[in-house]
Amino acid sequence: MKDGIISWKVAGVALGLLLIVATYLVKPLGVSTQFVVSDAAIAHKVNPEFAENNAYLKKYGEKEDWGVGYGWMLVFGMLVGGGITARIFASKQPEADKGSMPALWKEQFGPSRLKRNLACFGGGVLLLFGARLAGGCTSGHMISGISQMAISSFIFGAVTFAVAIMTAKFLYRNRGI
Amino acid sequence: MTLVIGFLIGCVFGAILFLGGASSYRRIIGTLLLKDMWIMKLMMTAMGVGTLGIYLLDLGNLANLSIKPAYIWGVAIGGAIFGIGWALSGYCPGTCVVGSSEGKTDAIFTLVGALVGAFIFFLAYPALEATVLAPANLGSISLVSVLGIKGIWIAIPFSALLLFLAFFVLKDRYE
Repeated sequence: MKDGIISWKVAGVALGLLLIVATYLVKPLGVSTQFVVSDAAIAHKVNPEFAENNAYLKKYGEKEDWGVGYGWMLVFGMLVGGGITARIFASKQPEADKGSMPALWKEQFGPSRLKRNLACFGGGVLLLFGARLAGGCTSGHMISGISQMAISSFIFGAVTFAVAIMTAKFLYRNRGI
Repeated sequence: MTLVIGFLIGCVFGAILFLGGASSYRRIIGTLLLKDMWIMKLMMTAMGVGTLGIYLLDLGNLANLSIKPAYIWGVAIGGAIFGIGWALSGYCPGTCVVGSSEGKTDAIFTLVGALVGAFIFFLAYPALEATVLAPANLGSISLVSVLGIKGIWIAIPFSALLLFLAFFVLKDRYE
């Protein structure tokens, strides 16, 4: 499928250059930690006692760590930058990439939005539980980590892709692919 | 100032992911079904460029490296759980943020699930720490520290390999 607003080559080179700039100015890119920071910020507001006593939250319990820092602003920027670009280039986005109900999913699992959203919610839980256990996600471990040739990131990349490929092949097993 | 830099880098990051189609279900699943290699090629190109640039910076001690520790069990089991979530939703933590910004409700559900997943991890952390996080921790090692030669000499061939795979080896195949 060749259609896209920009090609994978342009996007790949741009992402590589952005990673270099980020590593020069502050540090490599990372996203998943900010879900912890967001949760920690909420926990410290809603139930400070729980937040202070939790062994993991305590690591993010210092004010400078759980407040709005560089990393959190980066993820907030993704929301703003992605949102603005999505509106500017809405007419150029391929039809197949639009909307909340992917055609492939609908063909396989039916038109139920509830089913799609529940699968996404469950998928989201697994994503962040796994990312925190492993210490990073696609951006921190794969893009940034493999670019630094970190051993942990090679392990993460290999296991993640292997399991994700097996899961996808299982979900679409009747398609003979 | 760092906050502004973070915000601007994030804006560009979000824009690249959107424009490059990384928040698209058919692209992600296409790659995981090994049919449409778009995302794989995009990532390999980014890593090829990134590796070379980071270790060029490192020659002048200008790279703020952040090598994650290799605690084998946690990284492998976490990666496996992550992989299931990735294939199920079609998003990763970064692209679900971008998908949400586009107004995709399935991305928003992924985002909320991710916040809950992080919370469940807090609760499980005390039990996980001694069993999977602490043992078999090799520390913050990289190919550079393992091989013990200057980073750029590994970065050049590794980067060339990634770009070669992305541009010449990986091919899309359809029914």
